[in-house]
Amino acid sequence: MTALLRQRARRDRVQLAVWVLCTGLLAFVTANAVGTTYGDTEERVGIMRLAVANPSILLLRGLPQGTSLPAFVFFQIFTYLALLAALMSTFLAVRHSRAEEESGRAELISATPAGRIRPTVATIVHGVLANLVLGVAVTLGLVTGGMPVDGSLVAGLATTAVGVAFLAVGLLAAQFAHTSRGANSISVALVLLAFLLRGVGDARGTPSADGLRITSAWPSWLSPIGWAQHVGAFTANDPTPLLLCAGLALLCGGAVFALQSRRDSGASLLPGVAGRADARPWLRGPFSLAWRLQWPTIVAWCVGGALFGLVAGALSGVVVQAAEENPDLASTLQTLVPGKGTVTQVLISAMFGLVGFVAAACAAQGVIRARQEEAGGTAELLLATPLGRVRWLACYLLLGLVAIGLVLLSAALASTGAVFASGDDEAHIGESFAAAAAQIPAALCYLGVLALVFVLVPSITAALGWTLLGAGVFLGTFGGLIDLPRWARDLSPFTHTPVVLSAEADLSGAAWLVVVAVAAASVALVVMRRRQLH
Amino acid sequence: MSDLVIEARGLDKRFGRVKALDGLDLGVTAGEVHGFLGPNGAGKSTTIRILLGLARASGGSVTLFGRDPWTDAVELHRRVAYVPGDVSIWPNLSGGEAVDLIGRLRGGTADARAYAERKRRLVDAFQFDPTKKGRAYSKGNRQKVALVAAFATPADLYILDEPTSGLDPVMEAVFDAEIRRVAAEGATVLLSSHILSEVEQLCDRVSIIRAGKTVETGTLASLRHLTRSEVSFAAGPTDAQLASMPSVHDLETTGGRVRFTADNEQLAGLLPALAHLGVQGLVIAPPSLEELVLRHYGDAAK
Repeated sequence: MTALLRQRARRDRVQLAVWVLCTGLLAFVTANAVGTTYGDTEERVGIMRLAVANPSILLLRGLPQGTSLPAFVFFQIFTYLALLAALMSTFLAVRHSRAEEESGRAELISATPAGRIRPTVATIVHGVLANLVLGVAVTLGLVTGGMPVDGSLVAGLATTAVGVAFLAVGLLAAQFAHTSRGANSISVALVLLAFLLRGVGDARGTPSADGLRITSAWPSWLSPIGWAQHVGAFTANDPTPLLLCAGLALLCGGAVFALQSRRDSGASLLPGVAGRADARPWLRGPFSLAWRLQWPTIVAWCVGGALFGLVAGALSGVVVQAAEENPDLASTLQTLVPGKGTVTQVLISAMFGLVGFVAAACAAQGVIRARQEEAGGTAELLLATPLGRVRWLACYLLLGLVAIGLVLLSAALASTGAVFASGDDEAHIGESFAAAAAQIPAALCYLGVLALVFVLVPSITAALGWTLLGAGVFLGTFGGLIDLPRWARDLSPFTHTPVVLSAEADLSGAAWLVVVAVAAASVALVVMRRRQLH
Repeated sequence: MSDLVIEARGLDKRFGRVKALDGLDLGVTAGEVHGFLGPNGAGKSTTIRILLGLARASGGSVTLFGRDPWTDAVELHRRVAYVPGDVSIWPNLSGGEAVDLIGRLRGGTADARAYAERKRRLVDAFQFDPTKKGRAYSKGNRQKVALVAAFATPADLYILDEPTSGLDPVMEAVFDAEIRRVAAEGATVLLSSHILSEVEQLCDRVSIIRAGKTVETGTLASLRHLTRSEVSFAAGPTDAQLASMPSVHDLETTGGRVRFTADNEQLAGLLPALAHLGVQGLVIAPPSLEELVLRHYGDAAK
């Protein structure tokens, strides 16, 4: 048992450390920032009234429990802490159960005296310990952010409870799905459903007379995140709802052991999905193959882009009001994007800046995929047919282009739809598309430069790709807030994304980005002619 | 123009300071099944990657159908079918999809009905499930994907890198039949292997390489002249007499049997002596290709 636990801890040490640190940091940063930005009770009352009156904000935040500073922090961040705990736990559960069975490693372990059941027990102990550490990190984050100790403890405990509940849910999903991909899909869908159910429950809840609190509607009580939210950290401080989380964990855990002791190792309750015996007629070249391999990822990035677009469209009207009441908020928003414009324009530019990150990430992933094909050996199969190296790479770049377009298009469409739905003025419709188009140059720049990296130093494509993206996002987002020197901010392609919604849009930066992108991609294609497969 | 389909002379390949190929020569004539033998790491796969234009030679000359495989890769690949040594296929494509994709890229599916018929026959023969996703295949089944793809479309040259290393004996027989079929249709086959028995049965000629150099080329018959036969019989009180005979080499007694090797031309002269000793359970075995290669790798010091 100790050996199994130690193996799990060793395998996860980096990954879990990153989850725990990020979650703790998120708690700390929020507690700290809310204290600085909304230190004023009147401001908080204003914002809370606004939130209570706008279901879309409640959906994306939490359950309003008054306007004390700690309660405000809990409202702002707890659902996201819970979301992180839930995802950490389901990934952990699947990684040590179905993924092990799928790879055949579980057989190796089950053939020892450990048997079939003990590895699962070890996974549960490992997962519960990880969630306890996560809870401690959240508590510490909140306390160092200036929050009271008792409420921070309750919030930490609630985070742990959500994590443990979803640990059991993940293990149960692993009993059903045939592949680890399938198990992860089921459990992530359940996590998102839990987030959504509690969002709908809060959004449709009943506001109190003063408009500062909400009693959530029944859907909230179907969600472990909803239960955990009802501990009311810093206000009620009542951990009783967490018993529901514990109950769910016990129920799912019991089902896991019942199922596992009956089925064969490697078998699943849902059968594996068979593929096609023959390829569809359109699968006949490098481009269609690249599309066939990457469309699920591209669709996922599009959904991400659409979510940001939706928020941009839905919140634009709301935030205009907020900014009128809170000039500080307006000036914070102004620092995010260069240039001038109305608050709405600034907000749409800011939100589409996020969409730009998504588009660039999608483009980068396309090039990284080409590298994976090469390193994994499947590119060799293709390039041994009458298919030239240059054409092969060109198809990946073309698909990157298409993917950037799709991500931006879905964001613009979602934003437009949201504007229509909110009955806001229709001037924003064209603005959504213009703001989306403005993101093209920076994304292109990542596509071209990373293609050049792939051709010249293939082995570092993935690492450098994500690093460049992370650095660009950091400099582009926080460069203005933390007063970095101009030249440092200029290193990020996102700094040069034009603000097309301001009166005097400066397109020279965008032109340079396109020049860099085209030059890098051209050099990449030329060098690819002379490059060997590595 | 010679009738050499593959011609490599003094081929060099360096990876940094490591010499993977060191003056390798290889000549494969049209219509022959050529065995390409060597232990792991001898440079077989590197040579094949150069022949396919996936890697570039550091020195020496190489042609495929008289053309440069690096610069004319695309045109040459219309005539070539390839099975990699370690087949990877796309995890979320089914085996059938992968076969079709490769067939279409090679332009071998223009006659859709003939292609479907060949594919069906091969899927049956190799007892291969084309509906499984790539990630679910074992090594042997991934190899079957590449084999079915290679044989489902006609080619002038088949380059097969250790194609049967993951197959069971029944499937090896299916593979042998396919090689005989394409050879009978006039195709040229380069078959790399370190499993000597499969080369022994299929190949007209073999090239043996070691540490990036060709150490032997020829028909199996011509190579057999180079080695000795092994003679063995049940042990008795006779060893001392044998040891004094000049044509007896490597004499030893293991597992209750006396073994020695002898040059083939000396065998006839030895038989009366063995008869005189009255040996029991006499076995005289022709040299296997294991011995041929061992001679070149095992006696490195000489």
